[in-house]
Amino acid sequence: MNCDVARHNLPEYLSESLSEAQELAFASHLATCDACRAETERLGSLWRGLALLPGTFPEPAANVRDRFYESLAAYRHGMESAPTHGFREKLAALWPRQPAWQMAISFALLAMGVGVGYELRPASSEVAQLRGEVSGMRQMVALSLMQQQSAGERLRGVSWAYRAESSDTEVLSALLSAVNNDQSVNVRMAAVESLHAFGASPVARTAIVQSIPKQTTPLVQIALIDLLVDLKVSEGSTELKRLSSDETVDASVRERAKWALGKLLQ
Amino acid sequence: MNVNATDNALMAAVGAGEVQKLAVLFERHHRGLFRYFVSMSRNRELSEDLVQDVFFRMLRYRASYDAKQSFTAWMYQIARNASVDQAQKRKGEVIGIEEFTERRADPAAGPEQSAMLTQDLRLLRQALDRLPADKREILVLSRFQGMKYEELAGVLGCEVGTVKVRVYRAMRALEQAYLTISGEKTA
Repeated sequence: MNCDVARHNLPEYLSESLSEAQELAFASHLATCDACRAETERLGSLWRGLALLPGTFPEPAANVRDRFYESLAAYRHGMESAPTHGFREKLAALWPRQPAWQMAISFALLAMGVGVGYELRPASSEVAQLRGEVSGMRQMVALSLMQQQSAGERLRGVSWAYRAESSDTEVLSALLSAVNNDQSVNVRMAAVESLHAFGASPVARTAIVQSIPKQTTPLVQIALIDLLVDLKVSEGSTELKRLSSDETVDASVRERAKWALGKLLQ
Repeated sequence: MNVNATDNALMAAVGAGEVQKLAVLFERHHRGLFRYFVSMSRNRELSEDLVQDVFFRMLRYRASYDAKQSFTAWMYQIARNASVDQAQKRKGEVIGIEEFTERRADPAAGPEQSAMLTQDLRLLRQALDRLPADKREILVLSRFQGMKYEELAGVLGCEVGTVKVRVYRAMRALEQAYLTISGEKTA
């Protein structure tokens, strides 16, 4: 060890954070170097003195403690009396109204997506965490868009949902709700399309079958029937049989149900 | 469990909604913060306000605390920001610099030894006060608050190696100031 290295290690020597080997090397250098030994003694004495200085400082006034406890109590009171918002409202509140911010979030998501894609090869916990974050962001974007007033925004939400994890029950229930309740045919159609990603979910499969008779538009009913075929939902055959023989059902729907039945029973 | 781990866990609990646990952190750290602010500003009233401000900011930003991060480092980052904001708010105002009457450092020591010690410490304290703010700050944080160099690197936003170099330079500057003051006293 030379004098430069010794000076570099001096702060750690003083704070007793050198490794045993480093401390040994430091001590051996001091044994041979008068200048470094003298400096270590001088600075060491000041260093020890510094540790005693806090005792010479004044104490904070007693009202510092009173003021703190008052603020803490006020804060807790504020927390308790604040209205608790539901999860959906919180998500919707997170989504900015300004297009510029919406764009910024979209770009951030895109960048995160690219990052994840790049990192996917070595499967590490960091990547898993990033994937989790991206999936969480997608869920947030999808759910908040689906809350919007404009059908166009909801449509975008539904298409975001297509990118969500197939195990995401929050997004699934939002999609099913869109299929069953959204006023816009376009949104309902797009939601049916997005349900393709949830083919493995028993909840989704049952809900798709149950949704067909609830629909008022033949177009959506046909899209749902096609979905049953695509996902090979054989549990839907009873409902398809009923549809194909129900005279009150639209003719094109009946015909499609008959066709689907043939496909599913193949 | 070491003290820091406990602090981290406490702050994580505060972040998760158990805000009453901040009281424990207040009891543990408000004196240390006060000493830090007094060392930096030499103004008691201002320092007391800043201590309040730091704990209030902890409440406000409690959700952003990451339990993997050292609580002490996080707290002093907040303290530094609070200090900067306060200085901007009071721009142009003259802040009174106070001369504090030092308390006797070690009442357990014999009277003669204690008197010497007090005298030495008074000089050391004056030497510390004469240092430029950045040098004073690094010594206060590492010596008064017992912060590790890794934590200091986080607070000061630099590499650990840089922290060591800065601690060394601050100690050399302290020595110079101490010798100068001793010379003035004996002259």
